[in-house]
Amino acid sequence: MNKTPFHLHGKTIFISGASSGIGRQIAISVSQMGGRVVITGRNQDRLDETFKSLSGSGHLTVLGDLTDANQRDNIIKQLPQLDGVVMNAGMVQAYPIKFMTLEKIKETFSINYDAVVLLIAGITRNKKLNKGASVVFISSISSNFPPKGGSMYSSAKAAIESFSKVLALEHYTQKIRSNCILPGMVKTALYEDVEKVITKESLDAHIAKYPLGIGYPEDIANTAIFLLSDASRWITGTNLIIDGGCILNA
Amino acid sequence: MISLEEFVKNIELEIEDLEPGELTAEINYRDIETWSSMYALIIIAYVDSEFNVTLSGDDLRKCNTLKELYFLIKSKV
Repeated sequence: MNKTPFHLHGKTIFISGASSGIGRQIAISVSQMGGRVVITGRNQDRLDETFKSLSGSGHLTVLGDLTDANQRDNIIKQLPQLDGVVMNAGMVQAYPIKFMTLEKIKETFSINYDAVVLLIAGITRNKKLNKGASVVFISSISSNFPPKGGSMYSSAKAAIESFSKVLALEHYTQKIRSNCILPGMVKTALYEDVEKVITKESLDAHIAKYPLGIGYPEDIANTAIFLLSDASRWITGTNLIIDGGCILNA
Repeated sequence: MISLEEFVKNIELEIEDLEPGELTAEINYRDIETWSSMYALIIIAYVDSEFNVTLSGDDLRKCNTLKELYFLIKSKV
């Protein structure tokens, strides 16, 4: 029915961290493009709110904390066969290097790295990825252009970008693709968390560096749709920067 | 908890770029010529690691002096 490859009809897409921000918008946009979505998050009410905003039918919610091994296994068990995965769940924390502790490293890495890697491991081990599936990791421009205090977040994102390339290598025989999206500053609740940590003044100064202004979740969702669709079938192992031109000024 | 004097001295030592005595309990820390977001990060991390108190950027913004900050932390310990 669709001659254009720019759609997601007939595809089942799993999205982590879908109860807010970029993840919620990706879920909504994927459903609007004809995809069936499976969303996960830690908060039932907020996840339900995302679920109610979805277009079409047949969608699923799976509640759970990805950093907890039992809950993660339970999530993997409940997943149907997938044509796409968007790894979006994450958190940001600002801490100077000289104060770093193992505990701080673990706080950032457990959700931004360990949980992502182990979830992908479980999904692939259980053969939940269909042939030709597309995996999209939401990274950050801070992997290459880190801010002060961002050692752990930026390192975890850089690690995910390397991980994505290895995933692309290990699974290309099944035509499975893996790519990263590297957003600049996007207006979400995470942004408001950053605002609390680094003060509004320094955040405003950062936003002033964006030629096209601050980004919105839709901007990231539209790119995710492209990478999940067959329109990008020859793209794998890449990092796509979406930053309103921010790094032009870096 | 340590005294106000020790608190000020420790923060001055943690920031490293400051001359001894440049930071006092009474001056508005934003008036320090070299004040930057890095100083804010250092103060937040120092307070977190020493007193197990999580300060927000807003807390730092609402306070003007280390004295105010000291009593804010004391109320949270």
